[in-house]
Amino acid sequence: MPILRYIGRRVLFVIPQLFGIILVSFFLVKLIPGDPAVMMLGPTASTQSIAELRDKLGLSKPLITQFGRYLHDVARGDLGTSWQTTRPVTEDLFQRFPATLELITLGLLVALAIGFPLGVAAARRRRGPIRKFADYYGLLAGALPDFWLALVLIYVFYTALGWIPAPLGRIDMAVVPPPTVTGSLVIDSLIAGNLAALASSLGHLLLPVLTLGLINAGPILKMTQSTVERTLSSDFIRYAEMCGLPRRVVLRQAVRAALPSVLTIVSVLYGFLIGGAVLVEIVFSWGGAGQYAVQGVLNADVNPVLGFVVFSAVLSLVIYLVVDLLYFALDPRMRG
Amino acid sequence: MSGEDLILDVADLWVAFPSYRAAPVHALKGVDLQIAPGAMIGLVGESGSGKTTLARAIMGLVPPPGVVERGRVLFAGKDLRRMDAEARRHLLGREIAMVIPNPRAELNPVIPVGRQIANVVFHHLGVSRKEATGVALDMLRAVRIPDPERRLNAYPHELSGGMAQRVVIAIALACSPKLVISDDATSGLDVTVQAQVLDLLRSMVQEKGAATLFITRDVAITAHFCTRIAVIYAGQLVEMADTRAFFARPAHPYSIMLLAAFSHNPALRARWTRAAGEIADAAGEGCAFAQRCVRRQPRCLTDIPTLRAIAPGHLARCHYPVEERQ
Ligand SMILES: Nc1ncnc2c1ncn2[C@@H]1O[C@H](COP(=O)(O)OP(=O)(O)O)[C@@H](O)[C@H]1O
Ligand code: SF4
Ligand SMILES: [Mg+2]
Repeated sequence: MPILRYIGRRVLFVIPQLFGIILVSFFLVKLIPGDPAVMMLGPTASTQSIAELRDKLGLSKPLITQFGRYLHDVARGDLGTSWQTTRPVTEDLFQRFPATLELITLGLLVALAIGFPLGVAAARRRRGPIRKFADYYGLLAGALPDFWLALVLIYVFYTALGWIPAPLGRIDMAVVPPPTVTGSLVIDSLIAGNLAALASSLGHLLLPVLTLGLINAGPILKMTQSTVERTLSSDFIRYAEMCGLPRRVVLRQAVRAALPSVLTIVSVLYGFLIGGAVLVEIVFSWGGAGQYAVQGVLNADVNPVLGFVVFSAVLSLVIYLVVDLLYFALDPRMRG
Repeated sequence: MSGEDLILDVADLWVAFPSYRAAPVHALKGVDLQIAPGAMIGLVGESGSGKTTLARAIMGLVPPPGVVERGRVLFAGKDLRRMDAEARRHLLGREIAMVIPNPRAELNPVIPVGRQIANVVFHHLGVSRKEATGVALDMLRAVRIPDPERRLNAYPHELSGGMAQRVVIAIALACSPKLVISDDATSGLDVTVQAQVLDLLRSMVQEKGAATLFITRDVAITAHFCTRIAVIYAGQLVEMADTRAFFARPAHPYSIMLLAAFSHNPALRARWTRAAGEIADAAGEGCAFAQRCVRRQPRCLTDIPTLRAIAPGHLARCHYPVEERQ
């Protein structure tokens, strides 16, 4: 089975890949200006207490020793503590990653629901209003910053129309959240049968998901359009036309042939959005993983930043593995 | 033969490819071609002479930006150019079938070949999916693909070039078409496989009683395969004759050049091929082949030759057709 061999090889490479990622990010993070000891003790601390803390944190040791120690801890599943939350980084991340994943997963589903059909429709005709709309949409979605769109949506739907709950967090303060199972409030509310929590979390998801969906529909639209267009003039589609197959069948074949490219762009966007949705997270006080990492960067809190990188890397590797399995399913040529 | 009885009657067909800055390229310049039911016409010409464009124009599928500027295409008496696209689509694949040159690129890579045959049958013959699959299996047997039950589920990339070409022949003949157009169908195959596939194609079209337009760059193939031969040069037919007459007394210098290129006689080849250095200097309003013609006379540069009968049923577009045997 080529697929099992492939997965085996893939998993074999996970360890060196993770090592490389940690190596690079460790030294990059150390380049961030700011002394954690100073940040932790505040501006009035004495030089001596700062030095003591630095010793205690291991910051006075050479970088390479610090790196060795960090690796040693990571290997045992310990990502250190955040001095800001005073909690283990692993715990913090297990709480925040689901928030981000719920947001970007739904956001990308909405993006697909907008971008894919629009891209197919635009590819069918080189002229006409749909094509024009798609062109402008792609341009606009590429040019507008997501946080700006988020602010506009908040202004319209919360400030002006009042249709939407206050854009603060994932659920109303007054609503009792469901017990955590998956970390996704929607799924956990469903599991608990807690309709109030379900309604509230969906209400809070609406605008940030719409923001991410509207913006990320742009690249999905462009990719779908260009790939379907290319396949529509490809050899096998021309042959299908010569065989007199109905137009809708020919179009279906072209769309089917474009799926791997769409899958590629979605997986790239997914990997990117794990950290790239941070501005949207901040606007909506989402408390997600990206926001957590940025707080770490701003406060010289090294462990959350590195922990975020490790989590994202593992997640990306999982995503790419899943994507590869989907390629196998979509393209018989890969099954060899 | 009257127009009613012909399976294909192409008259004065012009196809242009507009280009952005320069003048449009005319891929076809007034082609006339008649095919009787069951006939096998060979269309021979070098690469770029317009063979594929003619096949596409007959099907109404000239690739953009190409346009059919002028001309008439009658298929079994029906004017294909006046027909609406949907009605023409119903003819393609069912009555006019195409055998393509590069099946492993032109078959759909993600659909099993059995289903590709069945699809065409299903959409044209109004049978059930199950019956269509049955026809697909029969066709795989008919084109002598080993282990057809298993091959039904094979993907194109899992087949050799020769096998893939057989699948394409199966698709072309599945609906028992009246006309099969084979465009360079065996150029990608090695010689033994080529011969097998050609034999298969010939026996299949004969069995189904289809007329064939057999397009090739290889004039030698047509000798065994065709009843009549047309030679195309730069978008114009330059010679047309029954196979026997064509090979016995080729009349157009270009035809002779093509034949000489396939002969094993270097002296003959040299006699009918102008050296590269001589090609560029002649330019004019006359014969399109004048620049490369070894028989060129002053008149060839000023007068355009027309396609005319030099013997009964033997047409040539030349002021000085060759009369002696080669
Ligand atoms: N898609 C196209 N765009 C522009 N010109 C084309 C295109 N296809 C064919 N042509 C022109 O038509 C001529 C004939 O091409 P074609 O019919 O493919 O020749 P053949 O099949 O005999 O090799 C070419 O020389 C080229 O100039
Ligand atoms: S018309 Fe003249 S140039 Fe043209 S093929 Fe005949 S002999 Fe040659
Ligand atoms: Mg060709």
